Amino acid sequence: MTALIFLMMAIAMMTASAGYRGTSIGLFGVSFVAAVLWFDRYAIEMPRLPL
Amino acid sequence: MGSFVRLGNALGAAGIAMVLLVAFGLQFGLNEPPCPLCTLQRVAFVLCSFGFVLNLRFGVQPLHYGLALLGALFGVVASGYQVLQHIAPGAAAYGSPILGMHLDTWSLMLFFAVIAVTALLLMLSGRPDHDRSDHQTAMRFRGILRFAVYLLIAVTLANAANSFAQCGPNECAANPTGYWISQVLR
Repeated sequence: MTALIFLMMAIAMMTASAGYRGTSIGLFGVSFVAAVLWFDRYAIEMPRLPL
Repeated sequence: MGSFVRLGNALGAAGIAMVLLVAFGLQFGLNEPPCPLCTLQRVAFVLCSFGFVLNLRFGVQPLHYGLALLGALFGVVASGYQVLQHIAPGAAAYGSPILGMHLDTWSLMLFFAVIAVTALLLMLSGRPDHDRSDHQTAMRFRGILRFAVYLLIAVTLANAANSFAQCGPNECAANPTGYWISQVLR
């Protein structure tokens, strides 16, 4: 999944440098949501704070 | 001021590319594959560098800085969560410490630095480049600015290949010890 997110971001940067601003921002949005969902999948343990 | 802000954005993009290259160097130098949260922190670095890329290609606009800040905030959450996992005395942290701190702590500090630099560039930017034509901004996208963006694209593609080599189509192990691709090719 993270490989896909990196790939989408690389394509977003390539489309941005080619001049397609809307497409690149859309790809950023998809990548950002995917990254947040993937983080939510791994953030399952409560932080163990010294109290 | 405009050229200073453009240079600041180029340095931001190149700086994040260097951070990702150093992470690669430590990964292969110390033979420590990144954990899933460490890889997500690399994703966050790429996300916040995207705002700088847009500023370099399309001219400085508040929306682009906003995207950089969103990426940096995601990085603060991901690295802060990992720091809190290991903050209790006796809790084992992942990986070797570098200059006395683990990489998640370095990441957290760097994401705060990205937020500070983005805020500074936003204050110095002044009027947005809405009035400039795409041709004008495209003409200025050359030299060191173009090199910084291409370096970032190359490092992002290298990270995509690295993530696939490490985990393949499966979910990454919480404490990875090797690479999926080496098991397939064996």
